[in-house]
Amino acid sequence: MNAPSTRKPAIDLRRYRFVRAAVGVWMTGVIGFAFLRDIPSLEILEHTARNLYFHVPMWFTMMAAVIVAAYHSARYLATDDPVRDVRAEQAARVGFVFGLLGILTGIVWARFTWYVGQGIWWNFDPRQTMVAVFLLIYGAYFTLRSSIDEPTRRARVAAVYNLFAAATMPFLTYVVPRQMPSLHPGAEGSPAFSETDLAPVMRPIFYAAIIGFIVLFWVIYTQRVRTALLEEELEENPL
Amino acid sequence: MGIWDLEPVPSMQIIPQDTTATSPYDTVWTQVPEQQPEGLERVMLAEDKLFVVLAVVLIIWFGLLFFLYRTDRRLDRLERSLERGISQDPDESVVG
Repeated sequence: MNAPSTRKPAIDLRRYRFVRAAVGVWMTGVIGFAFLRDIPSLEILEHTARNLYFHVPMWFTMMAAVIVAAYHSARYLATDDPVRDVRAEQAARVGFVFGLLGILTGIVWARFTWYVGQGIWWNFDPRQTMVAVFLLIYGAYFTLRSSIDEPTRRARVAAVYNLFAAATMPFLTYVVPRQMPSLHPGAEGSPAFSETDLAPVMRPIFYAAIIGFIVLFWVIYTQRVRTALLEEELEENPL
Repeated sequence: MGIWDLEPVPSMQIIPQDTTATSPYDTVWTQVPEQQPEGLERVMLAEDKLFVVLAVVLIIWFGLLFFLYRTDRRLDRLERSLERGISQDPDESVVG
């Protein structure tokens, strides 16, 4: 492995601190607007339409994280730079957490909106099931990592697996769920960007929430990369 | 009729709806509950289901908070190994 002591700083701390402050302000505004703006009232949905600002960005964020992780895995295979491996792992971890939060928020939303009086927590909705399958596939990446001790071999095998896992994402989150009848919108096109499915008053808040959560992902991910790089440095250069 | 032509939520009036027209977010999957909601549902359905949104926000908040604590634990370990002046045992580096 390369000597970490000669490595140039992997993270621009000034940029990190600026983005961290900005996302704090931004998300505060998003949450405020999400609760305070009036929205059209629909039967069944009622106020839960506001979950659009929270549940849906979880998935956008997870997808962004998976793409970031796959990018760094590909770069690792091209360059053998251990920092790429660290970045891929941390992006995958944070993305996985956003995926879990997406599933949990979806369960609660559906249970108390569409399944009132029926007590259904999990209905094998196609999209729900497919993202659960995706999270299992993606979770295997971490299991795989922890099963290989030798760092270079672990990094290479994990990078290859990560690329395969990421390649299943578009199919499991977009293609397959839209072929089947579902509680989720989307069979008719792209619900997030279509002209008819989303009330104009909700649109800016929705997009702001997506941007905010993705930037929040970047902050958490960068924080974890810093920690992981320190750990590696200590491991290789004991005091 | 676009859905944004409807009254905003706070008016709380019942809006007559043509259910045969476009059915956004699906009436097919829904059965109207016959009995009054009880327990958890009574709480969640109050205020036009606003508490469902609160629950979703809290799930995200606690999830991120939990994650923050995990990162903190790793920093604690780093600080301890700095104090001891030895590197940590790689076998002990916990996943996550």
